[in-house]
Amino acid sequence: MLEPIILCSVALIAVALYGFYSKKHMIKMIISIEILINAANILIVTFGAYRVPGYVELLPQSLAILSISSAGGVTAVALALILAVYRVYGTVDVRKLRRLRG
Amino acid sequence: MLVYPASSLLHSSFIVDMVSVFFILPILLVGLASSIYSTSYMSRDTGLNSYYTLLSAMILGMIGVVSAGDFFTFFLFWEIMSISSYALVAFRKDRWEPVEAGFKYLVMSSAGSALMLSGIAIIYGIAGTLNFAGIALATRTPTLVSDPWLILAISFLIVGFGIKAAIAPMHTWLPDAHPAAPSPISSLLSGVMIKTGVYGLLRFYILFQPLYAYWGMTLSILAFFTMFIGNLTAMLQTDVKRLLAYSSIAQIGYVTFALSIGTVQSISAGLLHVFNHAMMKGLLFMAAGALYHATGSRDISILEGIGRRMKLTGVLFSIGLLAIAGIPGLNGFISELLIIFASIRCELYLQTAILITNFLISVAYYLRLLQRIMLREPRSDLPEVEEAPASMIAGMVILATLCVAIGVYPGLLISMAELAGRAALDIGSYVAPILGG
Repeated sequence: MLEPIILCSVALIAVALYGFYSKKHMIKMIISIEILINAANILIVTFGAYRVPGYVELLPQSLAILSISSAGGVTAVALALILAVYRVYGTVDVRKLRRLRG
Repeated sequence: MLVYPASSLLHSSFIVDMVSVFFILPILLVGLASSIYSTSYMSRDTGLNSYYTLLSAMILGMIGVVSAGDFFTFFLFWEIMSISSYALVAFRKDRWEPVEAGFKYLVMSSAGSALMLSGIAIIYGIAGTLNFAGIALATRTPTLVSDPWLILAISFLIVGFGIKAAIAPMHTWLPDAHPAAPSPISSLLSGVMIKTGVYGLLRFYILFQPLYAYWGMTLSILAFFTMFIGNLTAMLQTDVKRLLAYSSIAQIGYVTFALSIGTVQSISAGLLHVFNHAMMKGLLFMAAGALYHATGSRDISILEGIGRRMKLTGVLFSIGLLAIAGIPGLNGFISELLIIFASIRCELYLQTAILITNFLISVAYYLRLLQRIMLREPRSDLPEVEEAPASMIAGMVILATLCVAIGVYPGLLISMAELAGRAALDIGSYVAPILGG
């Protein structure tokens, strides 16, 4: 049971990285980050449940819940920032944010 | 030397040894100084309730990260620190610069945290525990060296910590985010927050015994890349705070190189440099903020000669610049010298030569900045400026006093750093609580 879920999680990481590099819409970038966090959550929960057959460990499950809630916090701050970007720049296209040279 | 917990406690979520103490001290000192400094720097802003709440949350998060004993606690405090710092960088949300820099920082840093979480998950799958000491015990088997899963997990962790520590090529958020943040926040971010990434690298570098050789080599290559990028780009900057931000990248390169050598001398020199850099860079960002507060500009060509008008701020700024340039008698000299000694003792002559070249390049731009701000005649169109308010001066004086005091009497701090270096390499006493010893 372990391998198919790990493969699924690796596929999700690939999807997220693709979205991260190819999408220029700010909200789509935030969705890519969410997918990346969810791939990690799936890995954690899987290892917690199937690592030792017939025994589910609780600490990884609570780590997954913690990570879900912190992802909520990150998304809230990100959406607030996107709103501020829209007010200042009038667009949510990340290619228009090029004034800083980093 | 373990400070907390008492050795009989099992499954503790906090483990505070001398290494953690060595990171907590600068966090508290710079945190105190920047809180005092904020009272007048932020007096023209609105929303100060949330500002001070976020500032305290960020300091709490950093202290939690460096005293965590398992990945659960580590990740919890890591996220507290990160989320509050995103909000603080973009605190002035009606201007373009903080908003753009904040979004860039948020995207890069949260992708790094997510990759770090995947790394944590894989390590849990290998070791079966989230406790650091338990992981150190479980990864001791030499067969794990060629395990592709462990290597994947460690590369995820290096990317996660590397983004937070601004190790090149993952540094691109730092020169945007640090200048855009309010100055007390810049001094906290540059002085101590990037050091939590270094702390993570140090802790796991030592815990994963089988991969010692690979990790050391990777870290030293990244360190040299980071130093050169930081120093060479800093020479081209015209903005005071951007120059200081690039110099932070270079300093992280020095610390990472010291850690990558992996002896007691080099790790204690690296930790000493972490402490010294927190004092110097905190002071420099606060002084640059005081100049910005008075003139409304961060451009070096506009600020020329302003040290003659704002004498006290100018003197404090010069102390910071001379300390970070490594002038004997101030604190930067001591830790840079110790890093060079530790590197020569391991017979790494080529690396030492590159390191010394980098120190010399950095002296060039620090002294040029000092000459332009302090020694030139003020421009004729420089607006009438007043000396910075008392609480801003107070915040800077705390850090400047420490710079001078450590430079003159380094003995106490060097012996503390040596204890911390020994504690970092002493896995036996770190895993003792989990063995019930």
